[in-house]
Parts: sequence; C-alpha cells; structure tokens
Amino acid sequence: MKNRVLLLLAVVVVLAVVAACAPAPTPAPTAAPPTAAPKASAMDALIAAAKAEGQLTTIALPRTWCGYGEVIDGYAKKYGIKVNELNPDASSGDEIEAVKANKDNKGPQAPDVIDVGLSFGPTAKNDKLIQPYKVATWDTIPADAKDAEGYWYGDYYGVMAFGYNTDVVKKAPADWADLLKPEFKGAVALAGDPRSANQAISGVFSAGLSAAKGDVAKAGDEGLKFFASLNSAGNFVPVIGKAAPLAKGETPLIIAWDYNLLSWRDTLKGNPKVEVVVPQTGVVAGVYVQAISAYAPHPNAAKLWMEYLYSDEGQLLWLKGYCHPIRFNDLVKTNKVPKALMDNLPPADNYAKAIFPTLEQQSAYKEVITKQWDSVVKVVVK
Amino acid sequence: MAQATQVKSASGSDALPRTISLAWLGVVPFFLFAVLFMIIPALFFIVGSFQDAQGNWTLKNIIDLFQPSIMESYILSIQVSAVTAIGGGLFGFLLAYAAVLGGLPRWVRSALLTFSGVASNFSGVPLSFAFVSTLGRTGFITALFSNLFGWNLYQGGFNLYSFAGLSLTYMYFQFPLMVLVMAPALDGLRREWREASEILGANTFEYWRHIAFPILLPSLLGTMVLLFGNAFGAYATAYALTGATLYLVTIQIGAQIRGDVLHNQNLGYAMAFGMVVIMTTTMVIYTWFQRRSARWLR
Amino acid sequence: MRKFPFWSWLWVIIGVLYFFLPLLGTLEFSLRIRREGYTLDAYQIVLSDPKFQESFLFSISMALATIVFSILLIAPTLYWVHLKLPHLRPMMEFTTLLPFVVPAIVLVFGYLRVYNTSSFLPLTGSAETTNLLLICAYTVLALPYVFRSVDAGLRAIDVRTLTEAGQSLGANWFTILFQIIFPNLRVALLSGAFLTFAICVGEYTFASLLDRPAFGPYLQLIGANRAYEPSALAIISFSLTWACVGVLQFLGRGAPGQSQVSGAR
Repeated sequence: MKNRVLLLLAVVVVLAVVAACAPAPTPAPTAAPPTAAPKASAMDALIAAAKAEGQLTTIALPRTWCGYGEVIDGYAKKYGIKVNELNPDASSGDEIEAVKANKDNKGPQAPDVIDVGLSFGPTAKNDKLIQPYKVATWDTIPADAKDAEGYWYGDYYGVMAFGYNTDVVKKAPADWADLLKPEFKGAVALAGDPRSANQAISGVFSAGLSAAKGDVAKAGDEGLKFFASLNSAGNFVPVIGKAAPLAKGETPLIIAWDYNLLSWRDTLKGNPKVEVVVPQTGVVAGVYVQAISAYAPHPNAAKLWMEYLYSDEGQLLWLKGYCHPIRFNDLVKTNKVPKALMDNLPPADNYAKAIFPTLEQQSAYKEVITKQWDSVVKVVVK
Repeated sequence: MAQATQVKSASGSDALPRTISLAWLGVVPFFLFAVLFMIIPALFFIVGSFQDAQGNWTLKNIIDLFQPSIMESYILSIQVSAVTAIGGGLFGFLLAYAAVLGGLPRWVRSALLTFSGVASNFSGVPLSFAFVSTLGRTGFITALFSNLFGWNLYQGGFNLYSFAGLSLTYMYFQFPLMVLVMAPALDGLRREWREASEILGANTFEYWRHIAFPILLPSLLGTMVLLFGNAFGAYATAYALTGATLYLVTIQIGAQIRGDVLHNQNLGYAMAFGMVVIMTTTMVIYTWFQRRSARWLR
Repeated sequence: MRKFPFWSWLWVIIGVLYFFLPLLGTLEFSLRIRREGYTLDAYQIVLSDPKFQESFLFSISMALATIVFSILLIAPTLYWVHLKLPHLRPMMEFTTLLPFVVPAIVLVFGYLRVYNTSSFLPLTGSAETTNLLLICAYTVLALPYVFRSVDAGLRAIDVRTLTEAGQSLGANWFTILFQIIFPNLRVALLSGAFLTFAICVGEYTFASLLDRPAFGPYLQLIGANRAYEPSALAIISFSLTWACVGVLQFLGRGAPGQSQVSGAR
C-alpha cells in the first residue's frame, strides 16, 4: 500500500515539474495586411532576404507529381537557396497537422509552404495557420480559385481520367458507360479509398456527373449507383491502384488524376505500355492551393518560392509535369506555351468541358459519397 | 510473506525503509523514460479526444465512438487481431518447438531465428505487394494452380483482398514474432525435467500436459497478447492490402487525422483512446489468467 | 538411434514455403523491368543510387544505438523488478504494451509539440539532438518486444539463486548483472536485438516527420510511383537486413566453450 502511494506521488511530482516547465503557447500571429506585390527593387530586397534565410522547407511534394522535381531544382539553382523536402507522401491532412505540431518549432521539421486540396484553404485560414501574400502575377489568377485577402491561391489542376495497361485491357474506353461492358471484367480500380481519399471521391463524383448528365447535385448519388453496378457486374476491383499494381495487372485500369496517370506512364517506360484517356462526359477538375505557413521559420524564402511558382517559368514547369497551371488560360492567350509542351498532353477538347466544383458542391458530394459508399456499393468481402 | 524474504536475502539488513528506497531507484530510469517519451506525448491525444477542433471541452467525440460504423471497425479489428494472435501463436509455437527442441540440425535454429528477426518486421506495402504477386488475381501461385491443375482460386471463392487474405498476410510477421519470443522460453525447459518424467513413466503427451505446458503457459499467453497488440496496431499492411475494403480502426484513425477529406482529428484521437482502453482490458484479462496459471509456480 | 524427427521437419518445411513463396513472387516481379526478359536492371538502378547507401548506413547506425540503449534501459530494470519488486511487473508490462495502441503518427506529433526548439528540452534544433530523439522514439517502438524477450529469458533462469551465488562470492551489482545474468540471457537479448534492428531499419513515420535521412522514408519515396524498383528494393533490404542480423548473431555467440549456467541444452 505504502509502495503504491509513493509511486503515485513520484509520478505526480514528475508530471507537475514537466507541466510547470512547459512553455506558454505562442500566441497566434495577428492577421497582417497582405504584403503588396513587390516592385522591381522590392523584388531584389525579397531575394536578398530569402538568401539570408538560406533554406526553404516544403512538404508533400513528390518529385514526380506535376514535375515538382524540376520546379524545386529550378528554384534552388536560380536563387541558391537549399530546399529541404519533407515527407513527399503526405496528404493534405498531414500537411495541416505538420503546421500545427510545429508551431513552436523553428527546426527543419516545420514546413514553410503547403500545397493542399481546395477545401483545406478556408479551414486553414480559419484556424489561423496561414499568412497572406499576393504574388506579382496575382491578377491573372482566376477569382474563384483564390482567397480575396490573399491567404490561399490555386496553383494547378488536373482532370479525372482513365489510365490502362494495354497488355491487359485491349479496348480503349471512351467514356464512363464503357466501363460497365464485359470486356472490363475485373479491371476497374480507383486510386484510393472512396471513404477518405480525395482522388477516389472525385472519381466517384465524375462517374456520377456523367450518369446524371451534368447535374452536379445528383452526381454523388449517381456515382454511388454507377459503382454499385460496376461491382455487381464484377468489373470493379476494390484495390488501391498505383504504378506497381497497374504494371502487374492487378488493377489494369485506374481512375485517377490525369497528371498521376501520365507520370506513371512515363515511369513504366513502355513496360507495359500505358494509355491515358480523358472521358467524353463527366470531366471533373480538381484544384490544389498554395499557402504560406503562419509559423514559417523562413517566411521570405517562402514568399520568393511563391513568386517563382507563379512566374511563367514556374507555371510552365508544372505544365511540363502534366498539370494544368492555374494561369493556363492567361498563358495561352499571351502565347507563352510552347507547342511541344501542348502536344505532350491529351487532346485539349475534353479539357474544355471540365467542371470545377465549388467548395459547397464539393462538401455536399463528399458527404454523400463517404457516408454511403459501404451501404450502396457493398464491396466488403468477408 | 514474500517481502520479508526479500529483505533477508537481498541486502541482509532488516531495515525496511532503506531497502524500499534503494529498490525504487533501480526502476526510476525506466519509468522516467516512459513518462518522458510515451506518457507526456500521448497526453496530447488523450486530452485531444475530449476537445473539439476549437479546443473546447466536449464529450461528443467519445459519444461518436458508439456509432455503428466505428463500433463495427473495432469489432473487425479485434477479430483480425484475435485470429492472427491465436493462429500465429499456434503455428509459431510449433515452428519454435521444431527448431529448438525438435531434434533438427543446429543451423536450422540459427537460420530460423535470424530470419524471424527480419520477417517479423516485414510489413506495409512491400509485404502486401509480395502477397499480391503471389496470391493476387495475377499472382504466380494463382497462375500456377490454374495452369497446372486447372483450378481457378478466385472462382473457387478465395480472395486475397478479404478478411482471410489479410489474416494470412498478417501471419508473415506474427509467426516470426512468436518464434523469437518463445525460443528463449523453450530453451528454459530443462532436459532433467523430461528425463525425470520419463523415469516416472510419463509418455510424451503426459509430459506436455502436466509439466511443459503449465511452465510455458505464462510466456505463451503473454506472447499471444503481444501478437494481439501487434496486429491491433498494424496500419500500413492493412492500408496497402485491404485499404479500400476492410475498415479497420487504424485505417479510420489514419483517415481522420491525416486524411484528405474527413479530417476530424479529435475523433481520430478519441478512436485511439478507445484502442488504449481495449488494449488495457486485454492486459487485465491476461494478467488474471496468468496469475491463475502461474499460481502453482510460487 | 533417435527416430527421424518427421513432425519437426514438416513444420519447418511448411514454414519455409509460407515465408519464401511471397519473396519469390516479389523477386520474379522485380526481374521483369525490361520487356525482353529477366534482367537485374532494377537492382542496378537501386544499388547505384547514393541515397540508398547513405540512408541504409544511417538507419543501421541508429538501429545499433537503439539496441544498446533499449537493452541497457530494460534488462537491468526488469532484472531488478524480478528480484525485488515483482508486484511492479504488471505495471511495467502494461507500460510496454502502450506503444502498440498509440499510433506512431500521434506519438511523433506529440514529440514535435513537446520537444521542439522552444520547449524545456529542445531536441529538434540540431541533427545530433534530433538523432537522440529518434533513438528514444525507436526504443519506445522496440519496448514491447525487448521486454517480452527479456521477460521470457528471466523466467527461464533462477534469478534469485544466481544473484545470491554472485553476492556470496563478493561480486557487486555491476559484475552480477553483466557477468552472470546477461550471459544467461544471451538468447533472449539476441532475440530482442534482432527485433529492434529490423524495426529501426524499416521504420518510416518517426524518421519522416523528424526529418532524418533514414532508410524508411527512402523506401517510401521509391515505392510511391515506381513499379519494379520497389520490389527490387524490398528484396535487397530484406537480404541486407538478414545479413546484418546474422552478423549480430555471430558476434553474440560468445566464446567457444562457454556454456550457459542454466537452460536445456
């Protein structure tokens, strides 16, 4: 009895000491007015300040996603600033968690900039995790893809497409309805779990948009019904599709963002040959947004990074990585896009039909799809 | 009383307080380490399960745990963990016995122990893909069976992306774990006991039933609890293999804390807290069993 | 003449089949990087990557440090508990099962919040101190396994008698621990060491979020978007880790002629 009391006392004392030593949480920085786009000499000042910081910490930027490898190397070489790449496999949720957990940390684990899904922009702003900044080319960014106060801004988008292993899938699907045909038995897979992954949910939504003939409100339910029929026809493979199972033939046809499919096609180098097709109807675009962390250890390097990304050079590097940069229409209008780059992408006609769901529409269909996937589609195999 | 004997034999002095304070000192490093590197960081998520996204105190997350979808996840996770703990325990024990006491050449034991060291940690995407390339729809064993015996596994009802498939995959790190932890215990079975029992006329079955199993039971049970915990907390393998079908608790927690879409961390923390509760209950049950089974050893 | 151990061989053969067939599947896939036929190109690509060597060496050094640290932390404590404080064993056991239920991702965020550059114990500022934090994190991960191994080993020997024998011969605690108890725990300690080694080499979450150049994040990087190289990498890392564990076992064998005081054979 006495021993137990002593032990308990020891534990309490240790905890009390620790709690007393814990630092007071840093107060959230007050929302500063957005720094205006730097003019020429201000730009030089920014470059000098960034170089003085010497490092930029990024997160969740795989080198093969949208050609980020070249973008990062381009920035590092142009300004001589080292880029510390954290956790390339992180999801949007991971990035937000990383910013929160590293609030008081100025070490290399704290990300300076984040690249997250559209719906994470407003919530990050509400939680005071990001700081505003408007780049020099701010006005050429479409209004519905940015926060008016400059907290977050769209960076690139892609559309839902089909990528398939030509060794296994002999016939090219032209549209969503084709996937229900018997020649796609045991062939169709999503690139994530539709109960929690943005890419998979967007895939279901796109299928539904095609089935609902463009009616966004009904697309969630229609998408679930489509996958239910796909599943009962035996065409749906409930395995997460990636480069390896695509090559192996376990998931011969994957529904994913076009830039992912195109980059897998390139990695496989024809072994096997992969074709990427944008469907004729139900073309959905997914926008990602950039933001600077409110607790960034290197804020000037971060601002310079944004300037680089939104310059023509940065935007075209993204296009090279098969992602449509947010200033795409502006660049096309001013003839800045080289023809060779355009030819490398799937035909532009289907892209023209792309729908950009608004934040409200997104949360509506996400709610429907995540909650009802299990009950409607019934994939669970016991 | 046990304590009195300790005092006499340990330091030879009769002063109770001095023995106690010296003895406590011995365990301070371990518990200090546990507090610093396990309990304090974990406090964040325990506290977080009782808060909402803005930091206000609430019981909503705990109440949400009782939704059917989350309850089903817990049951599914417990089922997978129990099946692989028992199955892994049984075959792992047989393997350990075969290698340590089964009369096999010495190199078999070394090879098995070192291999187990590596295999016990082979998990995640590489493990899942290894099984996919073996028993998936286009796996080479699947192809072998259908080419050689004309027997299509998948048409016969087998499916790697199922509860059975996941359990089979989990065994890859459960068997070796059992082997590694039971090997020292099996080593401790003294030859003299076997010889003594043979002299007294017991056959193999009686030896095992009355001598070997009772001695090994505490370690056996303890290791099965270890296997249970190992499977219960597994995330990467489950995600890679059945991430799109079986909704285990760890997958749900991952989706809430790290996810693209759902992102309600406090619910994720509450679910992790639920896991702690389940593990604690398992520990309590095990301790009770173990005390009963080891009673005669005192 | 003892009879042929049929059942033992049967279990071992079934075990071998179960363990090697999936590895064979991975190997077969990794050789298929060229359409023309089987080649070792995927292995060449992986082995010639300087990041592979750097990250593997880093992880090995972290693993060795963790083994030493965790054994020194757990074995003496558990020995002490067995000897003097047996009622503390359940509490210690419970503590060592905690790492299973606290997801690594939650724990590492806890570390970042508690041990960051502005806390009472700033450990994330420099590479060396972050490595220390990583070693502590790995020790936490290895805790259940090392505990269970050492516990099983301690149960199998008569701790009290050995200690009293040592004391009656005039040994101090240090000598008793390192020259009497540890040699008798050789198998248990080695088991724990093997498990710890494999855990550390493949670990991903802590290394990634604490931003250390370990092998786990490297594996993940390769595996994310490529098809054949990850399989080659899996085979390479499996073989290399097995070789390292084999070396550990060889080193831990003890001098020839040294026999265990207690134990079956």
